[in-house]
Amino acid sequence: MLSRTAENLYWTARYVERADSIARLLEVAYRIHLIPNTDEGYLSEWDSILKASGMKQEYLKKYDQINKEKIEFFLLFDESNDSCIKSCIINARNNLKMVRTAVTLEVWNTVNSWYHDLKNYEKDRYSSKDLPEILDWVKKQVNLIKGTIDHTQLINDGFDFIRLGIYFERADFTARIIDVKYFILLPSSTYIGGQVDNFQWSLMLRSVSSYRGFRWAYGNSNIDYKKIIDFLILSSICPRSIFFAVEKINHHIYRLCEFYDDRNIVHKKVNAIYKGLSKCNADEIINFGLHEFLTKFIEDIGNVYTDLESVYFSGTDR
Amino acid sequence: MINIGLKQIGINLAPYMYMYNEVFNKKKIRDPYLNIMSWAKSLPHNLVIKKKLQAENLFKKIGITFSVYNNFDNAERLIPFDMFPRIITKLEWLHIKEGVTQRALAINAFLRDIYNKGEIIKAKIIPEDLIYKNPAYEVKMIGLKVPNNIYSPIIGTDIIRTDAKSFKVLEDNCRTPSGVSYMIENREIMMRMFPELFHTLNIEPVDNYSAYLLDILKTLAPRKCGGDPNVVILSPGPLNSAYYEHSYLADTMGIELVQGSDLFVKDNVTYMRTTKGKQKVDIIYRRIDDDFIDPITFNKMSVIGVPGLFDSYRTGNVNICSAPGSGIADDKAIYSYMPDIIRFYLAQEAILPSIQTYKCSQKKDKEYVLKNLKKLVVKEVHGSGGYGMLIGNNASKAKINLFSNKIKNNPNNYIAQPILDLSTVPIFKNRDLSPRHVDLRPFTLVGNKKNKLVAGGLTRVALKEGSLVVNSSQGGGVKDTWVLRE
Repeated sequence: MLSRTAENLYWTARYVERADSIARLLEVAYRIHLIPNTDEGYLSEWDSILKASGMKQEYLKKYDQINKEKIEFFLLFDESNDSCIKSCIINARNNLKMVRTAVTLEVWNTVNSWYHDLKNYEKDRYSSKDLPEILDWVKKQVNLIKGTIDHTQLINDGFDFIRLGIYFERADFTARIIDVKYFILLPSSTYIGGQVDNFQWSLMLRSVSSYRGFRWAYGNSNIDYKKIIDFLILSSICPRSIFFAVEKINHHIYRLCEFYDDRNIVHKKVNAIYKGLSKCNADEIINFGLHEFLTKFIEDIGNVYTDLESVYFSGTDR
Repeated sequence: MINIGLKQIGINLAPYMYMYNEVFNKKKIRDPYLNIMSWAKSLPHNLVIKKKLQAENLFKKIGITFSVYNNFDNAERLIPFDMFPRIITKLEWLHIKEGVTQRALAINAFLRDIYNKGEIIKAKIIPEDLIYKNPAYEVKMIGLKVPNNIYSPIIGTDIIRTDAKSFKVLEDNCRTPSGVSYMIENREIMMRMFPELFHTLNIEPVDNYSAYLLDILKTLAPRKCGGDPNVVILSPGPLNSAYYEHSYLADTMGIELVQGSDLFVKDNVTYMRTTKGKQKVDIIYRRIDDDFIDPITFNKMSVIGVPGLFDSYRTGNVNICSAPGSGIADDKAIYSYMPDIIRFYLAQEAILPSIQTYKCSQKKDKEYVLKNLKKLVVKEVHGSGGYGMLIGNNASKAKINLFSNKIKNNPNNYIAQPILDLSTVPIFKNRDLSPRHVDLRPFTLVGNKKNKLVAGGLTRVALKEGSLVVNSSQGGGVKDTWVLRE
C-alpha cells in the first residue's frame, strides 16, 4: 500500500485512541469535582490532569488560571488545543478522508458520523452539567469505531497500521499518566497509608478505566503501590497496561515483517522492549526508579516509532 | 429564445411557457413519463419530505460532498439532489450516443493533428493564431508521441435539449471532466429509497462505469511498460472540490489514489512510495490541471505536482491521461469550429449540432454582440464552472455595462451565444412539482481501437426558478438520469 495510506491509517487510529484517553481523563476530573476537598488538593488534581493531557503550557498561555469549567472546555472543544476531543475527532476524520479507499464503508461511516454528530453536543456555551453525557457519547463512539474496524476490515497490513496507532498512543498515554503522579507510587511518599494516597491511587486507576479491573485482578487484598505498578505497567490482562500495549505493538510489527518479508530493525527493537518487560517485576522498577523507568520507556518506544516511520512511511527502498 | 415574462420569475410558471417540457407535450404526459408521473402524484407530501431528508443523510453519511472555494466556514457542502428522475428513451439515447462518440473521436484526431502536422491549419479550416497563440496550446507537446494517439480518453459532453427532436452540444469537457460519481451515486440512492420503481421499469445500469474506465485506461500503456500496467489516480487532495469523486473512482477501480507527494521520478521512471518500497507507475489518470503536473516543466509554484513527471512522460515511461495540452479542444473559441473539425477528420456531418456562437475576436460578431447584449449569454473563452458569465436578459444595467467594457477592452477573451430555451423537467417543490431547466453530461471513454459509454449521464438542474445556470457552484442540483431499455 501507499506509504501515506499507512501513515494516515496509523494517525487516524492514534487520534481515535487519544479522544478516548482524554475522555477518561475528564471523567476523573468530573469525579474530583464531586468530592469535597481542600482548595489546594483540588487545584493540584486539575494541574495533574492538564499535565497528563500534555497540554498544560498551551492552557496557561490562553487562560491565566486553573479553572474547572475552562479546563473542561479546553480539553473538549477548544480547537486551539490540538489534543482536545474535538480536534481529535476532526483529525481522525481528516486522516481517514485522505485514505477512504483503505477502509470499509462501515468504518468510514462510523468516523464520519462521529464528526457530524459532534455538533449535537457542542453548545454555544459550555456547561459542566453536560460533561457526563458528552463523555459517554465519545467513549461509545470510540468503541463502535474500534469494533467496526475489527469486524469489517481485512486483517491485512492496513489493519496492522491501525492497531499500531491505537497501541502506540495507549502505551504513551499510560506511561505519561503514571509519570505525572509517579510520586504517589513511591515507598518514601509521606502519604503512605493515608486517606490521600488511597484517593489518589483510585483516581489513577480510574483515569485508565481500570479501577474495577484492579479489584478483580487482585481480589480484596489492600491496595498498595506495588500492586498498582504491577497492574498498570506489567499486567498482561489489563488492556490499559504498558505491557499489554507493547505486546500488541510487538505482535503487529512482527506481522508486518512477515507480510513484507523483511526482518528490519523495527521489530528487533520492540521485541527487546517486550522481552525486557516480560521478565521485569515491580521491585526491579522501584529499585531502578519509577520516574527513570518511565522516562526511559517513553524514549525507547519513541525510537521504535521513529524507525517505523522511516521504514514504512517514507516509501524508499530498504 | 427567452424573450418573455422574465419579470414574472418567482411568481408563476410563465418563464417556462415557451420551453420544451420533457414531461408534457401539448398538455399530455409523454409516454416515457407516464409511470413516473403517477408515482410522483401518489406520494404523500410527508413521505416526500421524509425521503428527501433520508437522501440528504445518505449523501452526508457516505460523504458525497463538494467543496466551494473561498468558503471556509462551510467547506463541505452537499449537492442538492432532487428525487424526480429525468428519463431518456432508448431512441433518444442512441442518437446522443452516436453524437458524443463522434465528437470524442474527432477531438482526439484534432489534438493529434495540431500537435503534429497541423493539417487542419494548412487546409485553412481553423485560423493559425487561434491554435498556436491559444494559451491552452502546449508547445511542449509538439511532435511528442502519445500512447496510441489518444490524448483525451475521458470526455464529458454537456448537452441541452431544445425541443422534441433536438439535442445540442453546449460544451465539450476533455481535460478532467467531473460529475461521474454523482451519476452513479444518484442511482444508488434512488435504488435504496425507491426500490419499487426499479422492479417495474427497465432502466439501463450505470454502475459499470468504473470497470469501463479501467479497461479503457489499460489500453493506453506507455511505450516502456512490461506486463499489466499499474494505473493510479492523481488528485490534488481532500481540499479539492471533486475529491470525493477521485476516491470513489479509485475505490471502485481498485487502484491507488495518489497525491503529488506520493510519487517521485528517478531516471525518468515514475514511482509511488509504498510500504514495500518504491513501485513503478505506468498510467496516471490525473485530476489536476496541466499547469500543476510538474513544477519543473510547468508552474514552478506547484506543490501538488511531481517534479520530473513530464520528462518521464516524454520518454515513454509513464502515460498521463488526459495528455497535457488537451484543453485546447474544449476551448470555447475552438468550440464554434467543432462541426468543421468533425467534417475534416471523420468526413461526417455533426450528429449533435453546436449552438450558434459569436466570436468577439471577429469584428462583425463583436459589433453584433455589443448591440444585442440583452439577448445573449456572454462567456469568457477560458472560463468554466459558470463563473465570469453574463446572461443578458436577466442582468442589471451595471453588469451589462461592465461586460460591454470588458468586451471592448479584450474582445478575444469573449464569445457570445443566444439565450437558449433549455428543456425542463419537474422537481419536487413544496406540495407540487415545478419545472426547472436541465442539461445532461454523458461521459465518453476513448481507448485504443475501442470506445465505451455508460447509458446515462449526469443531469444537472437549475434549482432557482427561471434560472438557466446548472453549475453546482452556482446553486445547481442533480437528478438521477434513466435511460430506458425499450
